[in-house]
Amino acid sequence: MSKTQTTTSTKKTHASGIHWNKLAAIMKLKTRALFSKNFIIMPIFAVGLTFVLKFLYGFIANGNEEILTFMYSMALGLGATMNVSMTGMVCTSMALAEEKEKHTLRALMTSSVNGLEFFLGSIIPVLVMIVAVNAILVLITAVSMSPAGWALWLGISLLCSVASAVLGMILGICAKNQVNSSTLSTIPLLVLAMIPSFSSFHPAIKKISDLLFTGILMNTSASLVEGTPAIDALGLCVIAVEIALAVIAFLLIYRRNGYDAD
Amino acid sequence: MTNEFIRLEHISKSFGKTEVLKDLSAVLHRGEILGFLGPSGAGKTTTIKILTGQLKPSAGDAYILDTHIKNIDTAIYEQIGIVTDHSGIYERLSVYDNLKYFAQILGVNTARIDELLNRVGLYEHRKKPAGKLSKGQTQRLVLIRAVLHEPKVLFLDEPTSGLDPSTALEIHKMLTELKEEGMAVFLTTHNMEEAAKLCNHVALLNNGQIVEYGTPEELCLRYNQDKSYRLLLTDGSKLTLGQTPAEIEQLAALLREDKVNSLHSCEPTLESVFLTVTGRSLQ
Repeated sequence: MSKTQTTTSTKKTHASGIHWNKLAAIMKLKTRALFSKNFIIMPIFAVGLTFVLKFLYGFIANGNEEILTFMYSMALGLGATMNVSMTGMVCTSMALAEEKEKHTLRALMTSSVNGLEFFLGSIIPVLVMIVAVNAILVLITAVSMSPAGWALWLGISLLCSVASAVLGMILGICAKNQVNSSTLSTIPLLVLAMIPSFSSFHPAIKKISDLLFTGILMNTSASLVEGTPAIDALGLCVIAVEIALAVIAFLLIYRRNGYDAD
Repeated sequence: MTNEFIRLEHISKSFGKTEVLKDLSAVLHRGEILGFLGPSGAGKTTTIKILTGQLKPSAGDAYILDTHIKNIDTAIYEQIGIVTDHSGIYERLSVYDNLKYFAQILGVNTARIDELLNRVGLYEHRKKPAGKLSKGQTQRLVLIRAVLHEPKVLFLDEPTSGLDPSTALEIHKMLTELKEEGMAVFLTTHNMEEAAKLCNHVALLNNGQIVEYGTPEELCLRYNQDKSYRLLLTDGSKLTLGQTPAEIEQLAALLREDKVNSLHSCEPTLESVFLTVTGRSLQ
């Protein structure tokens, strides 16, 4: 099938308001998909990683409370970063690629679902999942947070999830199928998850990490434990700019190709 | 709203320098089936894509339910149903949940799901994952999903292609019922028997061009130039007689002497009409 033939297919149903019954139906389906074995593995991996890190760090700290607290905040940051990157970007991208691969996206779009309903229905369950898992990670690591700290942690997690999920939608548009989606996600995933993980190893990596929303999330976990201001203006700007860039890139690609760039 | 549900006016479509549709015009009314009949690559699916807003024509105008195709929005999609080769199903969901999902999207009462499942014989499979259905069952699922919201217009792209005869017959029966209920059906097929049986009007499409248009009977009679009759005689022999005075007299004599077991006129089929008009077969 030619490119011209397919590119207009899902663009026609432009956003013209939200029908809540349609949004609710899509969210329900996407939530169900999120708990399928293909997708649930990602938040489970983040939880598992945090468990393992907590155990290992506890062993390394050897009872030293000060080191232990620092180590646990690191475990929280690494787990949360992994969760935001994998669940946010990879799950969203794969779910969209699957809809294209199985031709259900076309069926949906010619059944009166508009682009905005599909977008929101696809990302809201992912955002809820990420924030819920990041809350669970706090409980796993037993990091102590004040109510304000909790609110900040969940708020920053939500903002980072938005950036990650929108990136996932972009990758999903560009991917032909699920395998292709995994391939396309690999490098962004490595950048978003690994750079913050190695940020303490070298000042240059730290500088790059501070320009990533996942790096800001990592910093937030450390600051909340240390009792220092959890996020500064620069951190907020980084997240805001990256969300804005992701949304602009998404809109440009969507306006050109719809959800089906193949 | 008038009874005219679809109007194509001089529609053309090109991909690059290749012109795949050339000056198509046709009309589909309420309670009618319009068949676009042609071999693979004739432009049938492209026509459906243009009419459903999935493709823009290069030239011409088309209207669906009094709306120009460039203005197609979700309100139109709520009034049409589409069945194509690419009508995907959610394989991990059950048959029932597939329909329930679209029922919720289209604001349809779930009671209609059971009614439709019973109508196409899928009720006993309602809990089965849709991915486990046979091709015929999947096609029936896709069809009832497309008519779940009782659309005014139904687009069917080769709905019985590759199906066993009994499933094809079930689908034909359902289409006839839907037509009688007032639904307008735009059907593409390369199966001339299907078109002759179901369609009120057919357009013979060849290389993106409508080469003939009319009712199946009109088309067959229009090309019935060498009239002849096929006879099965009481002694078991077969005979074909033409329209010459001698042959007419011979036929009359056989009838008078009660020597004829069966008598059939030999007007051309849609397939032979297509062959005559285009010089190529439909397959």
